Amino acid sequence: MNSETFPLPQDMLPEALKTPPVTIGPVSPASLDEQVLAPVERKPPLAWFIAFACTSAVMLLGISLIGYTIATGIGVWGNNIPVAWAFDIINFVFWIGIGHAGTLISAILLLFRARWRNAVSRFAEAMTIFAVMVAGLFPLIHVGRPWLAFWLMPYPNQRGIWPNFRSPLIWDVFAVSTYFSVSLLFWYLGLVPDLASLRDRTKSKLRKFFYAMLSVGWRGSASHWRHFERAYLIIAGIATGLVLSVHSVVSFDFAVSLVPGWHMTIFPPYFVTGAIFAGFAMVVMAMVMVRTTMKLENLITMYHLEVMNKIILTCSCLMGYAYLMEGFTAWYSMNKFIHHTFWQYIAGDYRVECWLTIVCNIVIPQLFWVRRFRRNYFTMILVALAVTTGMWFERFVIIVSSLHQDYMPSAWFIYKPTLVDLGILAGSFGLFFTLVLIFARVLPVIATTEMKSVLPGAQPRHAGGSLE
Amino acid sequence: MSNQIFSVLGLFDSAQQLMDAIPVVKPKVKARLDAYTPYPIHGMEEALGLRKSPVGGMVFVMGLIGAIATMAFELWTEGMDYPMVTAGKPAFSWQAFVPIMFEVTVLFACFTSGLGMLFLLNRLPFFRHPMLHSKSMPLITRDKFALAVEADGQALDVDAITALLRAAGARTIEVLEQPAPLGLISPNFLFRVVAGIAVSCFVAGYLTYWGVKLFPVAIPMVHMLDQPRLDPQREDNFFKDGFGMRMPVAGTVARGRIPFTIRKQDDASILMNPLPRTDDVLKKGRQEFTIYCSVCHGILGNGVPSLTAAYGAKPANLVSQQFRDYPDGKIYYTIVMGKNAMPSYAADLSEDERWSVVHYVRVLQRAMNAKDTDIPKETRK
Amino acid sequence: MSESGTTRVLAIGAAAGLAGAAATGFVSGWDRFWANWNLWFLFLLTIGLGCLFIVALEHVVGAKWSVPLRRVPERLASLAPLMGLAALLALVSLPVLYPWTIPKNLKDPAIGDKAVWLNVPFFAIRVVACVCLWMLAYRLFVSGSIRQDDDKDPRFNVRARRFAPVFMIIFGITITVVAFDWISSLEPAWYSDVFGVYVFAGTFLAGLAATTLAVLYLKARGRLPGVEPDHLYNLGGFMFAFIVFWAYIGFAQYLLMWYANMPEEVFWYRERLQGGWGTLVLALAIFHFFVPFLVLIPRGAKSATRGLYWIATLMLLAHWIDFYWMIFPVLGKGLIFGWPELSFAAFFVSTGLLWIRRAMTRGADMPVGDPFLREGLEFRL
Repeated sequence: MNSETFPLPQDMLPEALKTPPVTIGPVSPASLDEQVLAPVERKPPLAWFIAFACTSAVMLLGISLIGYTIATGIGVWGNNIPVAWAFDIINFVFWIGIGHAGTLISAILLLFRARWRNAVSRFAEAMTIFAVMVAGLFPLIHVGRPWLAFWLMPYPNQRGIWPNFRSPLIWDVFAVSTYFSVSLLFWYLGLVPDLASLRDRTKSKLRKFFYAMLSVGWRGSASHWRHFERAYLIIAGIATGLVLSVHSVVSFDFAVSLVPGWHMTIFPPYFVTGAIFAGFAMVVMAMVMVRTTMKLENLITMYHLEVMNKIILTCSCLMGYAYLMEGFTAWYSMNKFIHHTFWQYIAGDYRVECWLTIVCNIVIPQLFWVRRFRRNYFTMILVALAVTTGMWFERFVIIVSSLHQDYMPSAWFIYKPTLVDLGILAGSFGLFFTLVLIFARVLPVIATTEMKSVLPGAQPRHAGGSLE
Repeated sequence: MSNQIFSVLGLFDSAQQLMDAIPVVKPKVKARLDAYTPYPIHGMEEALGLRKSPVGGMVFVMGLIGAIATMAFELWTEGMDYPMVTAGKPAFSWQAFVPIMFEVTVLFACFTSGLGMLFLLNRLPFFRHPMLHSKSMPLITRDKFALAVEADGQALDVDAITALLRAAGARTIEVLEQPAPLGLISPNFLFRVVAGIAVSCFVAGYLTYWGVKLFPVAIPMVHMLDQPRLDPQREDNFFKDGFGMRMPVAGTVARGRIPFTIRKQDDASILMNPLPRTDDVLKKGRQEFTIYCSVCHGILGNGVPSLTAAYGAKPANLVSQQFRDYPDGKIYYTIVMGKNAMPSYAADLSEDERWSVVHYVRVLQRAMNAKDTDIPKETRK
Repeated sequence: MSESGTTRVLAIGAAAGLAGAAATGFVSGWDRFWANWNLWFLFLLTIGLGCLFIVALEHVVGAKWSVPLRRVPERLASLAPLMGLAALLALVSLPVLYPWTIPKNLKDPAIGDKAVWLNVPFFAIRVVACVCLWMLAYRLFVSGSIRQDDDKDPRFNVRARRFAPVFMIIFGITITVVAFDWISSLEPAWYSDVFGVYVFAGTFLAGLAATTLAVLYLKARGRLPGVEPDHLYNLGGFMFAFIVFWAYIGFAQYLLMWYANMPEEVFWYRERLQGGWGTLVLALAIFHFFVPFLVLIPRGAKSATRGLYWIATLMLLAHWIDFYWMIFPVLGKGLIFGWPELSFAAFFVSTGLLWIRRAMTRGADMPVGDPFLREGLEFRL
């Protein structure tokens, strides 16, 4: 058998097969610096200040309510036996989930050598760090004595005891802190060459000092790049496993228990998929915001948004599979407690939240089967908001609905959140977006070094292919 | 004094030009070559003849160490040091220890990769490199590519190298000079690393110690110590006299205690010994008498004590006629209430024990006042 | 050995195997016969489906690096329709191996209440539906690709890209149905909702291993000119990633069931962890995860021909052991491996290889009609 190759010129290909360019129009390293690094050096526009004022206000509301909670006690929340976990853990799982998209884009897509990754990876990675910071607040404040949180760390103490390493809550402590440290390290390493660029561009002595300190004297030496690339790739590879493990450990909080509806073996991959789902929705919303306000449409193109929307669609289908499996296995188990719990999901006190989840997560994202909707701002934002809402309510249904009616009817209880709960939830969004705004002001939102390395003509011939 | 030349840089406009220049320049210079680029160039390692990066090996070793150390630590703490049974799991429940082992492995591996790369392999932070103060650096971090011929201690023929670089296609040439030496503050890398680690450890330890010591007793954390409740051995204003600890209500009886209400020895005569005169009871009586009574009343109950020190009071001779005439109840009363110098033995002997002592006293009285006819015929001599 | 020589050996092997397999039924019992039959048809079916999934995945993401290799999994996917036939024949095994077919077992509510799902007619309908869907997908992806060799029409790619996501959904549901129906319902009281994902992980991995093995085989015979170690690296990398994924899902299922320790779930593991089965599961962990994971960590290992050959073979063997470990404990005879198992191995392996060899003659060795073939061949890391 022979194997002739058949080169077809690009313009003869059907539209659907043409590979869209990663950047639109002429982009050179110098123009990239101008577009991305220059805003960091300028004063931000008025819109930024207004946005910052709004998000800070909401954040301060949240922080003061957290202070009120710590000073007064957890009783100011709606939690009560049997619904011992409510908004605190819902918010925790929600925000950790949002962080996963960043690591996926940063790490996993690096391994796949996907070209479109470079324009969005820096921002997504920053979002991961901020999301994990916000998430980490909740386990801290939901314990009765947050000032003793250091007891969760294994250090030799006069009581002679150790944390309970068998408990998924301690697994969480290790998983989330590892995830935060590794993401921070990965993000920082990627920033080092960009900080070197900023150091060399800036005229202000104070800024030059800070950028020089942070970029640790990076000079772009080839002998350094080889170590850098290897280290970066290795961390990306390991971070992929970390993404799987962190949200699996979070899912273990529920799945190792005996609560009906919680002890389902599909929870680890189900939670990871849900996390990627919610995270991408947030990334899409953020990218739309960034590309329009910072005039980066030629770098964060419609192609980028379309690919991310396809991923959202994929995750939506996977979530549909997971819901189907949950429902089927719940029936198949022939366990009357699980039957009751699942019946409560769809027809009980929290059925509205349950159906909202299903519609927002499974039904609305199906719009993305149509190409036009994948490339339209209105539908994109609609789906992204729906997914964010749906994923928050999914955690609500899993946690509150399962807990409020488990084995003993004498302990059944209708949970209602208090204003403090809602205020802290709003405050978490405020904190997140405040951090994002500060980031956009202080650091380059696109990884310029990485983008420069994939522009056409960037690499010498016969060295560099891509997956797509 | 003239500064030595550090390196000669040739700047190129594109990665392709730089890669094309390397095989032209490299064979003709003995000095070390380095390239400075705004981003990593594929194939650069091979072109410059750089060794492969050992990051992978370092990461593997540290990851393995992390995995083994963590699992060993978990097994030791939960299995040996303070074994606790939680949720019915066995002490050496390795399955439950896997998640933390995995996370710490990842932590070790990633930090070795990132920080090992920066600190150990690249020897950063380092701010005194001549490149950082050169005219070319801003061009390089923007979009230019440089090939550097580095002196590395030897002398460089600047003109020859310049000509060679221009022939290879360099647009601009820059010559970098050796920086002036620092003098007292040595930039010795290893020293800085060790000193940095030592200082960090010391500072971290100091802060941790004081933090852990003071934080729980700072306001508002200390508020949980200050609770509106009655603490033992503390004053309390709830009560008029200010005492937190209160006496029991009058008439309170200890659990299991039956009160002894007789107040005069003669009235105790009506008490009857409830215990039978069995072997066990008498043996018990002998044991208790030997322990508690024989010290003063003598092992034979005859008032010859085993106390060698002068004691002042003279213990009663229990085998005398006076006490042989005592009814059981009066002897019982004396044990409970004491007499003269003898204290109450009510706390030392339970009711049954007291009555068994009474039986034994009777045994001693008979034994010490025995007649010949009391001895059995067989043993009579 | 010549082509026809190999064919003759395989034909003899198949015939001898068939004879031995048939004898198993009469001599060792029909339960053993059908356990072997189901084990082997599932093993080969999952290889075929895994390869079909690989093809569909390549279309979904529009990958170009894999185009030169794509004909290999397309041909291997022909195992799926053949094993679909074996699945239809395996319907005879239902009354022999599956307790829910026996009316007296339906008295147990854990089994009887499921009868609306677990009954022979509905089961058969599901099997037929799955087989039809797989054949439809096979026609569209594989037959369409082979046809493109001649007409070089790029609209096939458009059609394939459009259908591929739909196939993913179909695949997800059908592989779950296979897992629940053929394997999980051997013990109908047991349930685990991640089981479909677990079998999927093994399936994808088996498809990758078979593809890698076939690619190496063809490359060694010079039938894949232009396929470089860079392409092999991607195959090796995917295998590495999914080895980890399989271990993650397998361990997560075990950890959750171990931790909650509910009798209605744990009995399945208890059967498979005692005695010989415990040793086998240890071997599974070592050969399905630890050994290939450690071997494939170094960069060079992922594209080294010899290493990949051994690892791919090991993965297929481990995949078989995985199914053996899941299915055979229901026979209650412990770890059995004798001439019946060897006969079935001879029969299925020979038949499978004969079928694959026939498939290797369909179409060109590379998808010569694909517009992205040249780009795929030019792929470098």
